[in-house]
Amino acid sequence: MRILALIAFRNLVQARTRTTLLGTAIALVMAMLVLLLSLAGGIEDNLVFSATMLSSGHVTVAGFHKSKPTDAAPLVTEAAALRKVLEANTPGLDYLVERQRGWAKVISPQGTVQSGLSGIDPVAEWRLRDSLHLAAESDYVDGGSDEVRGTLETLGQPGGLMLFANQAKKLHARVGDTITIQTETQGGQTNTIDLQVTAVARDVGLLSTFATFMSDQDVRTLYQLNEDTTGAFWLYLKDIDRSEETMNHLRTVLEKEGYVVMDHVPAPFFFKFDTVSGEDWVGQRIDLTTWEDEVSFLTWILTAFDTLTWMMSVILLAIIAVGIMNALYNAVRERTRELGTLRAIGMTRRQVLALVLLEALLLGLMATGVGAVIGSGVALTLDAMAIDPGLDALRIILLADQLHLVVRPLAVGSAIVLLTLLTGVAALWPAFRAARLKPVTAMQHAE
Amino acid sequence: MPAIVEVRGAVKDYPLGKLKVRALEDVSLSIEKGEFTVIAGPSGSGKTTLLNLIGCVDVPTAGEVIVDGQATSRLSDRQLTKLRLHSIGFIFQSFNLVNVLDVYQNVELPLLLQGKLGAAERHQRVKALIERVGIGEHLHHRPNELSGGQRQRVAIARALVTRPALVLADEPTANLDSVTGASILDLMRELNEAEQTTFLFSTHDHAVMQRARRIVRMLDGKLAES
Ligand SMILES: Nc1ncnc2c1ncn2[C@@H]1O[C@H](COP(=O)(O)OP(=O)(O)OP(=O)(O)O)[C@@H](O)[C@H]1O
Ligand SMILES: [Mg+2]
Repeated sequence: MRILALIAFRNLVQARTRTTLLGTAIALVMAMLVLLLSLAGGIEDNLVFSATMLSSGHVTVAGFHKSKPTDAAPLVTEAAALRKVLEANTPGLDYLVERQRGWAKVISPQGTVQSGLSGIDPVAEWRLRDSLHLAAESDYVDGGSDEVRGTLETLGQPGGLMLFANQAKKLHARVGDTITIQTETQGGQTNTIDLQVTAVARDVGLLSTFATFMSDQDVRTLYQLNEDTTGAFWLYLKDIDRSEETMNHLRTVLEKEGYVVMDHVPAPFFFKFDTVSGEDWVGQRIDLTTWEDEVSFLTWILTAFDTLTWMMSVILLAIIAVGIMNALYNAVRERTRELGTLRAIGMTRRQVLALVLLEALLLGLMATGVGAVIGSGVALTLDAMAIDPGLDALRIILLADQLHLVVRPLAVGSAIVLLTLLTGVAALWPAFRAARLKPVTAMQHAE
Repeated sequence: MPAIVEVRGAVKDYPLGKLKVRALEDVSLSIEKGEFTVIAGPSGSGKTTLLNLIGCVDVPTAGEVIVDGQATSRLSDRQLTKLRLHSIGFIFQSFNLVNVLDVYQNVELPLLLQGKLGAAERHQRVKALIERVGIGEHLHHRPNELSGGQRQRVAIARALVTRPALVLADEPTANLDSVTGASILDLMRELNEAEQTTFLFSTHDHAVMQRARRIVRMLDGKLAES
């Protein structure tokens, strides 16, 4: 009823000091919540970004090949035929790339690191050049200049190697240096190849500790793979949210085509060696995963951050709820005579209840609205400032070397609704008290 | 004439710690349509208690109060509220207007609660009544911008706007100076004569009693009609 809303609104205006105080508190909690949610959004964004660049497509079609039961080679044979099936049967497919995968010792004259190898096709993976950024020399050389060296233009060309800044730092390597890559083949034979560093890229969080880019040809050479064998198909969809659906669809398609498809295990491929080498079969099996499966060992970061966000919010909200309850309780007591009068002239209990609740809900809505604007503003500003967290531990948690915040309208909207409802819940007790006021006792209240 | 109010052997006890205070003792009274009646009596004699029973904001401990044909002790809170909204208008000693609403909105409020009239008809009735009680130029003032007499005029308009069967006023002039009080009484009397609105009010002011058409006297919770 409009008149109830009007009275409620004007009561808030009337009690200006109380409204401002409570409103500010609610707005601040809301702003903080929006900030944390934006940070969580940013981390998730970073995770999706780095995961789908370094670890997986939206959907990954890979598998294991065994020539004897104790083998577990993470390879796909007869790749050309599988590629055709995938291209023809993936709804919403944007593009598809093949990645050669390996694990190697990366050796420079001054150091060694262990890293995953990503062998890429330079023509098919032109998009990668836009996602990566060259690091300033000072990022990986003590006392280095702020200039960037090398180029991403030759990314994936045979003979070249791209390191991430953290690796270059440990290896004391610079652009132009020669690096030795040493791997062990399935048969236990050690192979090496010498490559020249053509680029050093800015880190993209934890995953970039274990990734280097080189040409797919060079990986094939290292592992002595034939032309029709590949590491994995990475499928990029027009809508990343359909990853799971698409994976399930491809499972039925591939089974129909006669492929043996492994049961879905939501884990990265390198966690599956033990299981696969312990199984009693030979030949080729296909494994289907989503990007989330391939980085499932990282989702604890998101979970921990979300937990922290909500725990802090709950504590602050509890304090605020007590504040609201107390303030409205006082408001009801101060207005006993007025509320009693309204009951006497014919307002029902339910309408009085609604009146007090409306007051709280209006306050909640206005305050959370203001808080949302402030929180989003701060989040967008921080994001634009691209702050370096300065600490490696933080870089790992943030999954990037810069503070990244994403304001998601849906998350902000949910927070507004949630906090407003909470204000309403906090107002329930004073509201019921108001509704229970007897018109006669209310009238006896002296001025 | 049909009786709008029938009080039959009404008793009202108030708890006072472990004791009971008997505020009304076997009161019987009948009010008919168009009356302009004063309940007079010294402080503590039970005037407010009786008006509360008739106004359906309280129910008797024993006996019956019948308002607009309904026995109040048999009604639920919801039904009592409805009866108050549709059959009774209240004028309070300290005006009791809604401070955050302006004059127009205060008077309109009972009609909005009733929800019976359309916007146009409601507007017409509210405006006419505000003019009638003589505060037409204060339509959009808040109560705290008005004098006591003006506030009581707003309260009268609010009580009358639903055209209730009965208007109750507990010491409506007690917070006003005697001149203003007199003009408020004149206004009520005029409305009583022009619209046949039934008024029942309490007072212990002799000037007020002189304007009444019927006086009901109370003493120690008992009736002594004259
Ligand atoms: N809520 C209550 N609790 C206990 N006793 C009450 C209550 N209300 C009234 N009384 C008592 O009932 C008696 C009648 O009170 P009431 O208020 O009806 O008198 P009154 O005639 O209106 O007096 P006044 O002229 O002072 O307004 C008094 O003795 C009063 O103390
Ligand atoms: Mg009294």
